[in-house]
Amino acid sequence: MSETIIDVNNLCKTFKIHKRSSGFKGAVKNIFYPTYEYKKAVSNVSFHIKEGEMVGFIGPNGAGKSTTVKMLSGILYPDSGDITVAGYIPHKQRKEYVANIGVVFGQKSQISWDLSPLDSYEVIRHIYKIPENKYKENLERFTQLLDMSQFINQPVRQLSLGQRMRADIAAALLHSPKIVFFDEPTIGIDVVGKDKIRKFIKTLNQTDNITMIFTTHDMQDIEKTCERLIIIDDGQKLYDGSLENVKKGYVSSRIIEAEFESLPIQLDLQNAEVTDVDNNILKKIISFNADEVSVNEIMTELMNTHNIKDISIKEPEIDAIIRDIYEGKIVMR
Amino acid sequence: MNTYIQFAVIKFRNKMAYRFDYLLGILNTLLSFVVYWSIYKALYDGASAVDGVTFSMVTTNFIISLGLSSAFSKNEMFLQDKIKQGTIANELLKPVNFKLRMLFEDIGEGAFSVVFNFLPTVVIAAFFAELSAPSSAVNIFLCLISVVLGYIVLWQISFIVQSWSFWLFSVWGLVTIKNVIINILAGAYIPMWFMPDWLKNAIRFTPFDSIYFTPVQLYLGELQGWEILINFARQILWIVILYGIGELCWRKGIKRLVVQGG
Repeated sequence: MSETIIDVNNLCKTFKIHKRSSGFKGAVKNIFYPTYEYKKAVSNVSFHIKEGEMVGFIGPNGAGKSTTVKMLSGILYPDSGDITVAGYIPHKQRKEYVANIGVVFGQKSQISWDLSPLDSYEVIRHIYKIPENKYKENLERFTQLLDMSQFINQPVRQLSLGQRMRADIAAALLHSPKIVFFDEPTIGIDVVGKDKIRKFIKTLNQTDNITMIFTTHDMQDIEKTCERLIIIDDGQKLYDGSLENVKKGYVSSRIIEAEFESLPIQLDLQNAEVTDVDNNILKKIISFNADEVSVNEIMTELMNTHNIKDISIKEPEIDAIIRDIYEGKIVMR
Repeated sequence: MNTYIQFAVIKFRNKMAYRFDYLLGILNTLLSFVVYWSIYKALYDGASAVDGVTFSMVTTNFIISLGLSSAFSKNEMFLQDKIKQGTIANELLKPVNFKLRMLFEDIGEGAFSVVFNFLPTVVIAAFFAELSAPSSAVNIFLCLISVVLGYIVLWQISFIVQSWSFWLFSVWGLVTIKNVIINILAGAYIPMWFMPDWLKNAIRFTPFDSIYFTPVQLYLGELQGWEILINFARQILWIVILYGIGELCWRKGIKRLVVQGG
């Protein structure tokens, strides 16, 4: 059995937000009577992660994912609660602690704008005091896995977002950290780029036994990489358990939106639910589970019986999953 | 420690790429020197000494204090920008002491300025202005050490003011006021010798005279024996005290840090 490496208990963080009144009168009022609002970014979150685990963190914007990751990486001080990662208390032993972790922020590049990735890596080698042979080995491996050889000598400002992100990921892993936090590493990246990143992360998790936490909005990211899922909304933990459990009900559920040429619409579908659309009588929404009935069957049935003007297939979004968890459709563990 | 010295060396080397900037910097430093030099030339009006202070002592004071003050001027919005843009997160993820790293990078930049801005300015000024020769080779060496210590005093004050950006949206105003106060009280605008006694005595209790005036006095050989030690001790004492205050501000500030964006 592997040991618990990340231990979080009753974590809380509140932000104080300066509330501004508008207009001239408001501006004067702000000077003399500033008013503040308190926003609970993270409230009472607890979880335990074992060494080598790969955990997906999902939730809508502003749910508290990034705040949690920032507290886990020692940047932010929690208001209350305990965090222990690899035997360290991140915010108290920051300097010693961060040598053991790697962090990738999708929104903030950590490598210098004016230098090439390779030059930045040299600086990193000095800062983390990476032994020469380890550095060479990691660099060679990452260059190959992330397909970086064509742009490793170009200044970062000339790289595309996808290339920059790959360079950033390699930078965070050069010192062979035990734990890596990915904060939306695939944001704004095209399908091919996303795929490369996911594959790399997955490979490294398996070969090096690195513990990883992965925050994202993209259900596909989680599906391709993680086995365990933590869902956060409004600062609270909603779900913590296997991806399978969520997948059963949701990942295979599909929605077909169909617009018909003409009335009447007579749909007699098994294992599927048909709902009307408010402002368009020609449009129907058909939801079903792809494990029970194939997309093909539904489509064939539709095509055979009606003339169809437009059709589209959708996957459920994270928001929908979270809504269902609220309503108790997924059992929390 | 080796890592931090590396930071200073890297910064020094990076600055080499911007040499043209420093040519303009020399012009800038020379201009402000010429202004003060001309004012005092008119005030002295050919007199050899006023209150026992010779004109060449005054010009030496100006070249050292104004020259260093201009060479040591740096980007004091550094911390504010990092906090505003949220890039401070990246700095905090490095296993190094953020303050020490910042200090050593600035020392690297300061050393570059001394070599490529301050020294050329002194050489050019020596052609037209009446500068005192150093009293001895030993004194030049002592002066250099006290310039480094004085720089660290100056840096700590700057850091304390910058660290207020944890609480304030902008510290630009504070930085500007701080710079004026330092230049007045450290003797860069009015030589310390001409200040009224009460002010001189008051300044002895502040860190300001240890920034530029101690190096000036050492260069001119105004300090002897114990006085040298006492002045070095005062510089070191201020470094320790200001370090304590800076550390306090930093620790309080970092607790309320809100990382912006994302």
